[in-house]
Amino acid sequence: MSDRLVELGANPTARRLIGALGLPIPLPQKLRRGRGPWPTQPLADRSAAVDVASDGTLADVLAHALVPAGASVALVGSDAARAAFDGVAEAWGRPVTSIDRDAGGRADLLVFDATGLRSVDDLNGLYGFFHPRVRELARNGRAVVIGRPAEACEDLGAAAAAAALDGFVRSLAKEIGRRGATANLITVAPGAEANLGPALRWILSDRAAFVTGQPLHVGSAAGSAEDAPTTRPLEGKVALVTGAARGIGADTARCLAREGAHVIVLDRPADEALAREVAEEIGGSMVLADVTDDGVVDQILAHLKAHDQRLDVVVHNAGVTRDKTLGRMSAEQWELTLAINLRAIVRMSEGLDGALADGGRVVLMSSIGGIAGNVGQTNYAATKSGVIGVARHLAPALAKRGVTINAVAPGFIDTRMTAAMPAVNREVARRLSALSQGGLPVDIAEAVTFLASPGARGLTGQVLRVCGGNFVGA
Amino acid sequence: MATRKKQQAAPATRRVVIVNGVRTPFQKAFGAFMEMDTIALGEAAVKGLLARTPVARDQIDAIVWGGVILPAGAPNVGREIALDLGLPASVEARTVTRACASGLQAITDAAASIALGEVDVVIAGGSDSTSNARLELPQTLVHKLAPVAMSGKSGPLDYMKAIASLSPARDLIPQKPEIAERTTGEVMGQAAERMAVRNGITREAQDRFAAMSHHRAAAAAESGRFSREVVAVETPKGKTVTSDGLVRANTSEEKLAKLRPAFRKDGTLTAGNSSPLTDGAAAVLLMSEDKALELGLTPLAVVETWAYVGVDPADQLLIGPALAIPKALDRAGLTLADMDLVDLHEAFAAQVLCVTKMLESDAFARERLGRDAAVGVVDEAKLNVHGGSVAIGHPFGATGARMVSTMAHELATTDAKRAVLGICAAGGLGAAAILSKWEAAT
Repeated sequence: MSDRLVELGANPTARRLIGALGLPIPLPQKLRRGRGPWPTQPLADRSAAVDVASDGTLADVLAHALVPAGASVALVGSDAARAAFDGVAEAWGRPVTSIDRDAGGRADLLVFDATGLRSVDDLNGLYGFFHPRVRELARNGRAVVIGRPAEACEDLGAAAAAAALDGFVRSLAKEIGRRGATANLITVAPGAEANLGPALRWILSDRAAFVTGQPLHVGSAAGSAEDAPTTRPLEGKVALVTGAARGIGADTARCLAREGAHVIVLDRPADEALAREVAEEIGGSMVLADVTDDGVVDQILAHLKAHDQRLDVVVHNAGVTRDKTLGRMSAEQWELTLAINLRAIVRMSEGLDGALADGGRVVLMSSIGGIAGNVGQTNYAATKSGVIGVARHLAPALAKRGVTINAVAPGFIDTRMTAAMPAVNREVARRLSALSQGGLPVDIAEAVTFLASPGARGLTGQVLRVCGGNFVGA
Repeated sequence: MATRKKQQAAPATRRVVIVNGVRTPFQKAFGAFMEMDTIALGEAAVKGLLARTPVARDQIDAIVWGGVILPAGAPNVGREIALDLGLPASVEARTVTRACASGLQAITDAAASIALGEVDVVIAGGSDSTSNARLELPQTLVHKLAPVAMSGKSGPLDYMKAIASLSPARDLIPQKPEIAERTTGEVMGQAAERMAVRNGITREAQDRFAAMSHHRAAAAAESGRFSREVVAVETPKGKTVTSDGLVRANTSEEKLAKLRPAFRKDGTLTAGNSSPLTDGAAAVLLMSEDKALELGLTPLAVVETWAYVGVDPADQLLIGPALAIPKALDRAGLTLADMDLVDLHEAFAAQVLCVTKMLESDAFARERLGRDAAVGVVDEAKLNVHGGSVAIGHPFGATGARMVSTMAHELATTDAKRAVLGICAAGGLGAAAILSKWEAAT
């Protein structure tokens, strides 16, 4: 289902005309999305204004996340921070310039290291950095604030300042969304600095086009992501994707395969033709089973044994909606939704634990419906908040062997399901987001692929909303 | 951060020596050699090589030839040279292409074959005639006409229809030949221009280097040093060309400073500090050491090691030699300090200066080579001692063979013991090779 306003907005003449006439038509920016495998330089020739905290703890990590990725950095920071950047900059021929915090200027990427905040007063630095630059942030630009988790702060002032970053970023996301630009917060637990790089590199890239207004919490429970591959991250890995015959599941299978994974496409026997097509297209294999079948785990284990494989990545994508307000909802509608969307995941998580390799990745499909609730979706929303519980519950135990588990919560995505909505509802749903448009299945697939990569080691037990900054439940 | 891959142990191989090396004079495109295509130029070089080297024709096993603009009708240039020169039919041939590193590719390819014992005596070299690059008709024209022409059922009416469907602007105007990257669309000079900016290479430094290249090449011609390797060529028009046509002894930094930027209005690269489009060829005679001694020949130099690398062409297109040189040095178990001569292909003065800057950078070594310290400082006294491509010219396929030839003669006639070569090439490729003086076993 094409979005006419996005198309109109991409036409410079129409954009000028509507502007000149002062028509009250919102023109969303067509999002720049990366195609093909992760490139060696996802930030090639992007200009970045970077403000490094005075203690310079993160300078080396930031330099390595930005410069080899292709960004040209203008730096606010101490001489020590500058020195950390200079070495990397020389090696990659990306000279770093020093700038004043209040200087302003055009940039593609704005990165503010707020890990040095010690008091509410220190938040003035945040204002000082973004205020002169925000209006000149490029289309499809990126703003990222890096802070400490408030609970890791020792004194009250620092905790208050750290928590303030969340509201700042969420609001900034809404202000810059019309330009297709995103704003996100990354918190880094002390000692988890080495895990920041891959997350920052990804969120700044055009693979994260539909993620905005979100916090990502980087920790080190599952170990360190140092030396994680930056291209073909899933080379040699085996990934299972349930519900992969169509839609988001099929795109996820394609993205994982594109980055090197052998993907096992799992779907219902009734969808064999579609599942086979996907499996053949990506050189994967196929398991035909209903996730609610008693024998599904055994079927997967038998398939793995026959191919002498272990699972490195599991994506629990299969899901259904059976929307009715609770009073009108039949017991079958309730039961079916719970069986597919939640009970099957609990059972498969237990059954596949032994087949999941150390350092593995599990991604669950949640929904903003599960976070915010929705009329007619008591069953669906229950399962979608249920999977968040699954991720949170399993994360600590899995982390001991380097496994991470996270949920992805899509917002309004232009799919077959949403194409069936009444036109007015669909139009409203699209515009009620910071980016003023719906996402594409590939946006979800890209987020899953990042969470499945070795570099995402710092993220576990979390919900990543891929919603374009949806106003619902934000 | 970069990590160094472990080298695999090499199989037992034979020593490969360079017995001789020559080249044609290098001439500006559409100049003295305009009527000579890449095959004719290659013949001139091989003929000169054989005239100067006492080796029986039937001892030659093969020709390995390098070229970039290959004639569509006869792409195996090496074989055409052998046949045209009337070499024994048994002299087999192949033609290799690796953009501007094609000439070196031919030589290392030949060296590998000799080292593995496949062959004993090989002529390797390369040529290119920029004057004879074909203007290409748009592929849309081919797509419209070919199906009609190739179908047995086509009648006059089908031809009329196909011709009527042609658009003069889109289908009939030939495409302008450009050395643009296929993946990025960027012309090489623009890529070098960006590299100069990113690595802080000034216009002054480029012009100074370019002037030095011209002065050194002019001195080598003047002193007779080049007569060891430059052979006279008779053109189809009956004119005999004996010396390079592009070298300017009387140029200076001041004169070069007056030239206008060639690739960007505010740029620093000019026609004066870039290599020009050139016609020419170079050829080298390689043998196994045993064979050379058996034939009573005195080798000039030994081919030690070589390395090829690839970098992202969208990043720094021509930085490859800074990665290839340390790789070749590692393979030889040597350091840059062990090198008495450094010969870098000068696609652009700026690009050479970018490469030497990276070789001298501790940060580059740490971040991109997984080494603790810089590869080393390139002493200007050792660098391109007889000038380079900016002054002499750059027939794409010939340059690598020219450099090998010049370094082999230099090792044979001076006290220098080892030389390293570095070449950048389209597609983000880098090449390097190490040669050493040949010394008789005592």
